[in-house]
Amino acid sequence: MANAGTDERAAKRPLSPHLTIFKPWLTMAMSMAHRITGAGLYIGMALMALFLLGSGVGGWLHALTGWLASGFIGGMIVFLITWAIFHHMLGGIRHALWDRGLYMDAQGRELLAQASLYGGVGLTVLLWVLKSLAG
Amino acid sequence: MSVPTHFESGRSGQGAAYVSDHEGSAHARFMRVSSYVLAPLGLLSAWHLAGLVGKDLDGVRAEIGHPLPAIVLILFAVIGMIHARQGANEIIEDYVHDDALREKALYWNRIASIAIACAWTFAIMLIAAPK
Repeated sequence: MANAGTDERAAKRPLSPHLTIFKPWLTMAMSMAHRITGAGLYIGMALMALFLLGSGVGGWLHALTGWLASGFIGGMIVFLITWAIFHHMLGGIRHALWDRGLYMDAQGRELLAQASLYGGVGLTVLLWVLKSLAG
Repeated sequence: MSVPTHFESGRSGQGAAYVSDHEGSAHARFMRVSSYVLAPLGLLSAWHLAGLVGKDLDGVRAEIGHPLPAIVLILFAVIGMIHARQGANEIIEDYVHDDALREKALYWNRIASIAIACAWTFAIMLIAAPK
């Protein structure tokens, strides 16, 4: 464990100046989006757990939680959850490729950042089109 | 002038090799291994979650009240919430600098992730149970 002196010095030490000095590249935005979609999915899973619990129990609980997946707001919630799943999944695949030393050069990084951005949106649109065709 | 290093590891003792006392590599490995399972489970779960929109109770039962969707959704929630808890831990450790507040946040993250996985699993079992 660090002693009191080190703690004091650690408190004064500047933090990594990531946001203030880096140019806002797409790769950086996608790194942040990976975190935000991850945290969003945590909340989304809580909302869907409530909706499912309402559907399982029925009655008054369903009356309370049914809006979470119906109407405009519920539809938006589920739509955003599916997008977050796809975006976060593609972000994970990006990390799996980087773990293997692939696509680590400037063009590769940019390509993967664009792929996760457009791929996430594309997969979401594809899912909802297929879902509406399936009935 | 060279300065002798007195590196002491809680795991391997003084003078031992540079062994980390922290859990970073286990964490990183877990996030990767769990994501290999979560990717296919996430695709299937997104499909079934999208199918819930605007459905009444019978419609929800028709969409996910079968063994395969139920198993997929339960696995997604259980493995997903362990993965999510680890991820949220990372976010908390990065951004919450106050020691007491951080401990509190980590504690509630543990409670919330377990509660979500349990509620979700219980709900799917209720929905998929034969009437």
